[in-house]
Amino acid sequence: MSDDARTWLARLQALDLPRRVRILNVCGGHERSITQAGLRGILPANVELIPGPGCPVCVCPEEAIYQAMQLALRDGVILLAFGDMLRVPVNVPKDEPRSLEQARAAGADIRPIASPLEAVQVARDHPDRQVVFFAAGFETTFAPVAAMVAAGLPDNLLLLSAGRLTWPAVAMLLDGQAPGFDALVAPGHVATVMGPEEWAFVPGQYRIPTAVAGFSAGSLLAAFYSVLRQLIEDRPFLDNCYPEVVREGGNATARRLLEEVFAVGEANWRGIGPIPASGFILRERYAAHDASRRLPDHTDATRRRVGEMPPGCDCARVVLGQIYPTGCRLYGRACTPRNPVGPCMVSDEGACRIWWAGGIREPEPGTAA
Amino acid sequence: MCLAIPMQVVEIDGFNARCAAKGIEREVSLFMLQDEPPTVGDHVLVHVGYAIQVITEQHARSSWELLDEVLGGERPADA
Repeated sequence: MSDDARTWLARLQALDLPRRVRILNVCGGHERSITQAGLRGILPANVELIPGPGCPVCVCPEEAIYQAMQLALRDGVILLAFGDMLRVPVNVPKDEPRSLEQARAAGADIRPIASPLEAVQVARDHPDRQVVFFAAGFETTFAPVAAMVAAGLPDNLLLLSAGRLTWPAVAMLLDGQAPGFDALVAPGHVATVMGPEEWAFVPGQYRIPTAVAGFSAGSLLAAFYSVLRQLIEDRPFLDNCYPEVVREGGNATARRLLEEVFAVGEANWRGIGPIPASGFILRERYAAHDASRRLPDHTDATRRRVGEMPPGCDCARVVLGQIYPTGCRLYGRACTPRNPVGPCMVSDEGACRIWWAGGIREPEPGTAA
Repeated sequence: MCLAIPMQVVEIDGFNARCAAKGIEREVSLFMLQDEPPTVGDHVLVHVGYAIQVITEQHARSSWELLDEVLGGERPADA
């Protein structure tokens, strides 16, 4: 542990804490740092760290994955997706491919990519083929996607957008019956792009202490200290504990590109349902590159368990911070990274996969909220 | 997927740059830094092939230490 982290931990341990404080994070990267650094074990026992909606792959609509698979299987497009998406299961009869990976094994041309730049390259390399980039991601990832679109796309490259905004999911939790948390650690790289101000509504309207954090143990502990102190002093505000990267107003170019390329509208979150103003939708002027407007719609509303999580999978409640991964009865039993049932065990940003990789093996029921 | 890797700018050609980290070089787009264009030698935070922010050398170094701990043997290309 760095000196910086030790200092913040000592300060935090000196606080006169309330009986129970639940701090929600909204970023798979934060959860990974927390788990890998073992921060839960060193914090006072009454401080709970709850992994929240920090995994875009986990909330990507099941129908969208099904549609992407069908475009590759039936219409012969080259389907590109971030590698994390390939093993996410959809709900289909046993004899059908249940993930992009299985569709690929069945002969579909599906390729993992790590950057929108690769999508442009694949489209240029195959001018005679239709290429669809099926993109899931939060603001940090969708700013590059917007940059790709704004820079000019090859005619044969289409986008199937599953882009989501993070703050509306937190707003939805706060507007619900039981938000399940007392303080918020806001995502560092989303704030890098969008500016920390996006999160000002949390302390402003809901009086929930909030701090933007980076990914080191020091920055996370500084954020935990900040929100705990805000709580004790009943003085909620938006703190920035990642000032070396997160600046006022965010990245102005990135925000301008997002605004130019995408409209923001209601969007579906897997297992959770529609959330207002939470989805990136290609603007009309880019309709020629919008796979959802240009290509056949294979979504079938009568398909069994359409849109839902797999049977028995509690990923949606994990994403909402209502239970810990170990609270799902499949965790570590039917569901492991080798044979994942739900998206939270597939994605590197899924809380279940992070906890499993961190060596948390107890499949005991636990309740977060 | 919001993971970002610190890299150093080695060469710039318009919006395209060659950036290096840990002896590995990658093509990186500077399209999102139009309001604050970096110069050769600067450090940038790279997410899915795009530089999202200019950072100090010191922050680049401490981020790498952190990534080494968190990622273990994973390759930067997977970020």
